[in-house]
Amino acid sequence: MGQRRKVGAVKAPSSQRDSADASGAHSRKHSICMVSDFFYPNMGGVESHIYQLSQCLIEKGHKVVIATHSYGRRTGIRYLTNGLKVYYLPLQVMYNQSTATTCFHSLPLLRCVFVREQITVVHAHSSFSAMAHDSLFHAKTMGLNTVFTDHSLFGFADVSSVLTNKLLTISLCDTNHIVCVSYTSKENTVLRAALNPEIVSVIPNAVDPTDFTPDPSQRQDDRITIVVISRLVYRKGIDLLGGIIPELCLKHPDLHFLIGGEGPKRLVLEEVREKYQLHDRVRLLGALEHKDVRGVLVQGHIFLNTSLTEAFCMAIVEGASCGLQVVSTRVGGIPEVLPEDLITLCEPTVRSLCDGLEKVIAKQRSASVPPPGSVHTRVRSLYTWRNVAERTEKVYDRVAGEEVLPLAKRFRRLKSHCGPVAGTIFAFVAILDFLFLLLLQWLVPDRAMDVAVDATGPGGLWRQKTGKRSETESKRATKQAAETKTQTQ
Amino acid sequence: MGADGAPSQSVPWRKVLWERQPFPDNYVDQRFLEELRRNEGIRQYRYWAVVKEAGFVGQQLSCVAVFITLWLYMEQGLLAPEVLLWTSLSCAMLGYGLHQALTSQAESGCETRTHLADLQSAALFLSFTFGFSPVLKTLTESVSTDTVYAMSAVMLLAHLVSFPYGKPSPPGSLSLNAALFASVCLASRLPGALHTFAMLTCALLVFALWPCLLQRLRENAPCQFTGVCVGVCVGGVGGLASQSLGGAVLFSLALVSVTLLCPLLLIWLQRHKDNIQGPWDEAEIHEDLSNFLH
Repeated sequence: MGQRRKVGAVKAPSSQRDSADASGAHSRKHSICMVSDFFYPNMGGVESHIYQLSQCLIEKGHKVVIATHSYGRRTGIRYLTNGLKVYYLPLQVMYNQSTATTCFHSLPLLRCVFVREQITVVHAHSSFSAMAHDSLFHAKTMGLNTVFTDHSLFGFADVSSVLTNKLLTISLCDTNHIVCVSYTSKENTVLRAALNPEIVSVIPNAVDPTDFTPDPSQRQDDRITIVVISRLVYRKGIDLLGGIIPELCLKHPDLHFLIGGEGPKRLVLEEVREKYQLHDRVRLLGALEHKDVRGVLVQGHIFLNTSLTEAFCMAIVEGASCGLQVVSTRVGGIPEVLPEDLITLCEPTVRSLCDGLEKVIAKQRSASVPPPGSVHTRVRSLYTWRNVAERTEKVYDRVAGEEVLPLAKRFRRLKSHCGPVAGTIFAFVAILDFLFLLLLQWLVPDRAMDVAVDATGPGGLWRQKTGKRSETESKRATKQAAETKTQTQ
Repeated sequence: MGADGAPSQSVPWRKVLWERQPFPDNYVDQRFLEELRRNEGIRQYRYWAVVKEAGFVGQQLSCVAVFITLWLYMEQGLLAPEVLLWTSLSCAMLGYGLHQALTSQAESGCETRTHLADLQSAALFLSFTFGFSPVLKTLTESVSTDTVYAMSAVMLLAHLVSFPYGKPSPPGSLSLNAALFASVCLASRLPGALHTFAMLTCALLVFALWPCLLQRLRENAPCQFTGVCVGVCVGGVGGLASQSLGGAVLFSLALVSVTLLCPLLLIWLQRHKDNIQGPWDEAEIHEDLSNFLH
């Protein structure tokens, strides 16, 4: 791992390159480090968000690297499509793919990444990721600008949320800018971390519309199929689904359910299926790979989402993009996601969801629903990764012009924002972090560290070699699973 | 991009993501947090109602005090075991009658337990305790007295802490076991086997049967319940006073703080309660979904 090469060797070719990205409207190019515990090979919303956003930012000429913790034997540096470099740092995983945090032990490794990659903006993702918070903490100590994206909603009522929200307050009080995925998520984050709402931007998630195209020929016309794709856990409202299935199946003999996903609540659905003898009408497909999702979606007429909480809900956009009629619970940020005529919102009760589904089934029978093609056309342009990248770029531009709080101001901010006790403790931790950084800088000065080979962004080597092809290929390449493209350095 | 500032006020901002709006991404509208609800469905406590509930805690404290007083009397030979035994039995009969009367008022017939079964278990318990009392008497002989006292104190404390004050009938297994453990420890330090037997019978009465009767009283006769609580508290303080004046003073101070000061603190802190709810909260499933399965 690592590229121990002379700085000069890197600089030499970059000086010769024809600057292809000079025409960009935004003259300022950033070196961004995305940090999160959650990245491929782990699968989920945060993972694909980081990957897609990075790809689009590379396309716009920025330099992007990703830092995450090691997954099993996957340690060291890997390259993904378009030279996107991923650092799999050997940090100990504690719980649910999140690393343990001591506030200090990750500083040497992260400093190494930030210095070698000449990072200007650190962008951390997900409030559940300890590594993200650690990196924000160290980046501020090192004087780098910081951005944080919150992907989830959190309550206020129990002890665990009180503690987590306090930690979030400490972590975000001196972060330059925060991004949330919906207005509800913004309200939630502003309240949780006691933030000024003006430093919180709302940039929704996106889906790749070319991945989710309708195909009505896959539907069976003698039946109505309801598709559910979600992890089978309590928070996704699978218990409600267990109540809906028998109720509707008894009323409509031609109704079928297609359920993709895995989880502890699978038992509930299996019990329901057993009790009401619905084996031929309720199919449980188990865990689906991302590439198989579209194949399942296009078989259905109606997409059902029963979540009890959701910051954005990409699933309903994917469903609508495949031309399905969407029925969903009215929770979290869901009402903001789709226009009223593309979604039927219900209260999170069996009664209300059944009523909503019945209404849509009746419409489906009378063929008064818009054809899948026209639904797709409307959804296609709503959420694109390019748009997300454009708006995120504006955040970086804004952040780059802001000052990183010097140590003394940072203490004052911590004390005034986080209360006398927690504020003092973390001001002390910040001092220790700073001293540790000084020690590291004395042991290995910044100037003695090699600058890494620049793969993407201004002066990127990747572009130079594949520059001609990359324009046409990049669009297709972003769609392919990152997995298949990994190479070991 | 700068901070807020709507380019044209003619287009109202909407809380939707699917529409491209002419506002910056960090725009904060007037309607920001308009769905925030504070302290919804919060319970407003009234002082005397809380005092009444806290009186129950004081009552349980006093029960322990009464038990310890009885033990002190027994240890010093001021109370003959026969007297305690007969008093306990007559109290038990009286309490049983009262319990029956209160039960038949409320829910007659739902329990199929007969008087014969009650009599059987009482006889079983009494005979076994009587048979084993010589064994229990010598049980802790090899343990030093200080250890026994310390252990009893810890166990009685555990009993008080783990007692299910919300719904004490029947007493929780941890609290009941801790109390009986403490009673066995204390009873084993008494001079004779009959003393031990009498003490254990009394312990069962105080820690197992009395909370059941009290619960019935609380449900069916709230006014008398308050009176009984006050009575037990006075009994506890009086009993301790006859043995140690300093102890009695400390104990009454504890009772006052538990029953009068703590509720005051609760009401005062209630003012600072700030419970926020909004659309980000996880929805709760209120329906009973088990009927789809069973």
